[in-house]
Amino acid sequence: MPRPGAVVEVDRNTPPTLFHFGEGFRLERLPLGSRIIYPADPMEPIAHPERAIRRALAHPIDDDPLADLLRAGMKLTIAFDDISLPLPPMASPDVRQLVIEEVVDMAAHAGIEDIELICAIGLHRKMTADELRHVVGDRVFTTFWPDRLYNHDAEDPEGNVLIGKTANGEETWLNKRALESDLVVYVNLTLVPMDGGQKSMSTGLGCYRSIKEHHTVHTLLHSNSYMDPPKSALHDSCIRQGQLIEDAVRVFHIETSVNNHAFPAIANFLQKRETDWTTSDQATFYAMKQATDLAPPDIKRSIFHSMLAPYGLTGVNAGQVDKVHEKTLDTVRAQLLVPVEGQTDIVTMGVPYLGPYNPNSILNPVLVVCLGLGYLFNLYRNQPVVREGGVVIMEHPCRYEFHSVHHPSYIDFFDEVLADTTDSHEIEKRYEKRFAEDPWYRQMYQHSHAYHGVHPFYAWYWAAHALQYLGDVIVVGGERSTVHRLGFKAATTLEDALEMAEQTVGRYPSISHLRTPPLFLADVEV
Amino acid sequence: MAVPAWYSGRVGLSALVAGVGGMVADYRKLRRGFHWDTPRPAGWPEAARAAPDRPTDLGWARTEPFRSIRWVLQKGILNPFTEAMAHPTVEGEEWVQELDRPVILASNHTSHADTPLLLYALGDRVRERTVVAAAEDYFYGRRMIGFLTSLWLNTFPFSRTGSPREVLHRSGQLLKSGWNLLVFPEGTRSADGALQPFTPGIGHLATENRVDVIPMHVRGAHRIMPKGRDLPLPAKATIKIGKPLRVGEGETSRAFSARVERAVHELADGTHSNEVEGSWIERWQATEPRPRSRF
Repeated sequence: MPRPGAVVEVDRNTPPTLFHFGEGFRLERLPLGSRIIYPADPMEPIAHPERAIRRALAHPIDDDPLADLLRAGMKLTIAFDDISLPLPPMASPDVRQLVIEEVVDMAAHAGIEDIELICAIGLHRKMTADELRHVVGDRVFTTFWPDRLYNHDAEDPEGNVLIGKTANGEETWLNKRALESDLVVYVNLTLVPMDGGQKSMSTGLGCYRSIKEHHTVHTLLHSNSYMDPPKSALHDSCIRQGQLIEDAVRVFHIETSVNNHAFPAIANFLQKRETDWTTSDQATFYAMKQATDLAPPDIKRSIFHSMLAPYGLTGVNAGQVDKVHEKTLDTVRAQLLVPVEGQTDIVTMGVPYLGPYNPNSILNPVLVVCLGLGYLFNLYRNQPVVREGGVVIMEHPCRYEFHSVHHPSYIDFFDEVLADTTDSHEIEKRYEKRFAEDPWYRQMYQHSHAYHGVHPFYAWYWAAHALQYLGDVIVVGGERSTVHRLGFKAATTLEDALEMAEQTVGRYPSISHLRTPPLFLADVEV
Repeated sequence: MAVPAWYSGRVGLSALVAGVGGMVADYRKLRRGFHWDTPRPAGWPEAARAAPDRPTDLGWARTEPFRSIRWVLQKGILNPFTEAMAHPTVEGEEWVQELDRPVILASNHTSHADTPLLLYALGDRVRERTVVAAAEDYFYGRRMIGFLTSLWLNTFPFSRTGSPREVLHRSGQLLKSGWNLLVFPEGTRSADGALQPFTPGIGHLATENRVDVIPMHVRGAHRIMPKGRDLPLPAKATIKIGKPLRVGEGETSRAFSARVERAVHELADGTHSNEVEGSWIERWQATEPRPRSRF
């Protein structure tokens, strides 16, 4: 029986606490009385994933068995989540490979000639052939690439169709091939509660004009948090769009969930609480810490990004989108939820090397904000771990470095937009449209591997709620000029940062440390 | 870009001092924080394993940084050494140049020199994605030998005495994960260099996983390092690679094993071609894994 998550109070004997620090680590001594929130140990994975998948397809929720929906002569589209899930990428075989192989197998038996596989990237960068091969596996890749297996293109005017508007006036667009299909099978992987459900198709196969309906500062300020879909305006909007899509096209939804076994054996100490560290874990930590302190960023990055997670499948459900998602969320919450009593004045976190928007890429300063104040801050239910007006202290080198192929619009966003203002409303009003419609960014999104021109805006809005809610944000170990451009304070050590934070929250503050990844979801009791 | 000041700890001697200082500080932090000199504090919860034992067939040897280390070792040491010792001639390399899905590579086995010669013949791209089956009882009896063999040659322990089901499962997982599998179906090195009968395991492996088998033959390795000798001597070697063999409709694993054995025997003379054309359904079904019960 895996241990549930825990909140541990720091005392005199507590070992130093691990902080992720980009492509590196730090060991910090937290003040006495601070609390550390640990994730639960990984749930036992399903022993026979292939069998579980076949069972889910044969006994779907609120839908007919998939085999009954497939018939010769039909037009079938299989869509699947892109490389932003899971993090880190899963060691082969990826669960999507197992599901897709099963679906394709059934399609072959049914004699369906017209089949296409679309990677639902939304406004993310197009996946490379190698990345696609990793997700779908060799067999699927060699059978379908490149004619029948490809990335969705949200900027192809011929390839996307307006379905209509929701009751709230939200435009809903969909990939034309998906819309014209007799059946769309969507293969999802849900890592955290914000993933999956109606959001999969409405964002993954949508285009800027439909995604902009919910990726707004207003919506994200009213998504408290977007890791808790019932309280998320973002998800409400996605559900409205999704229902419109369900009316327009027959969808068979398959969702999978994995445990939080995020690190391979070589980095096992990252998976463990410090009190569980064996001598060998300590030695590995020491060796990796020294190596990452000395190595140039490029080498560190290539080593870190080559780490694949030995995730185990914990659930697979198929059928009607909402019903399936409900069941998936139950499994995801069983893995992630950690009960936490009350809020604290300060929250500390180590920002790791990887977020959803930089697989095989650089976590640039804008993405540091997105990951720290967007994703990690929002890993809560009910209310944030930090109180309103409190302080978040993040540790990350926060270097001025960008991936020029993947993140071209991020560079201009940082240099031009953030130099002018860091106010999300202002940014949205004055700059978003220009970046979104810029022909050069569009060109690079369509024909290279660049994120869409508007993407840095969404990354910034992702943190809008935290930026409005917090009294201060301090980055420990970050490049001073870069941190200041983001509108935050820079500190050299955690001790300095805590001292600075006291000016905002007062003397003797209460402190929580989010020991993540592996991921958890703080269920904060009022 | 501004040049850092000499006292900043980021250049020259001051960087060295800062680096060494950091190492010492980290060491002290660990020693004190984890109570190396004192008993484990009573307040600490019982240490837990945290991560479940997921039977991952990737194995540490197939993760980074070991892959990169192996690449350097093989490119920098193993291949030049092999070339110097054996002046190998490779025939039929076109059969492995365009591999786009995992295969089983089956070769005769006369010497420890077989593996380096076969890896040499596969070329960089395929070698990087190839796992070598190594006898568990021989190579993995001692931990350090097992570690070095895995690191050096990307081997995985192939049990000759344990459960065949377990061996099949682990090999199948590797194939499914995109790795080619180099196996020696004779089971052990030939004492006199002559081919021994193949075990039926190769047929099971191919039929269960519906993967192609590429027959290979090494000539001359027996002269380089015959069974019983510890050090290699220079001698000319020839590696022949045959056309991929595919399990036929209704063909039993035993019959397929025999076909592979024949192909290795015949390698000295022939090369052939084999490609699947047609609709996606034909291509898909040609690589279909063993039939499974449907729910």
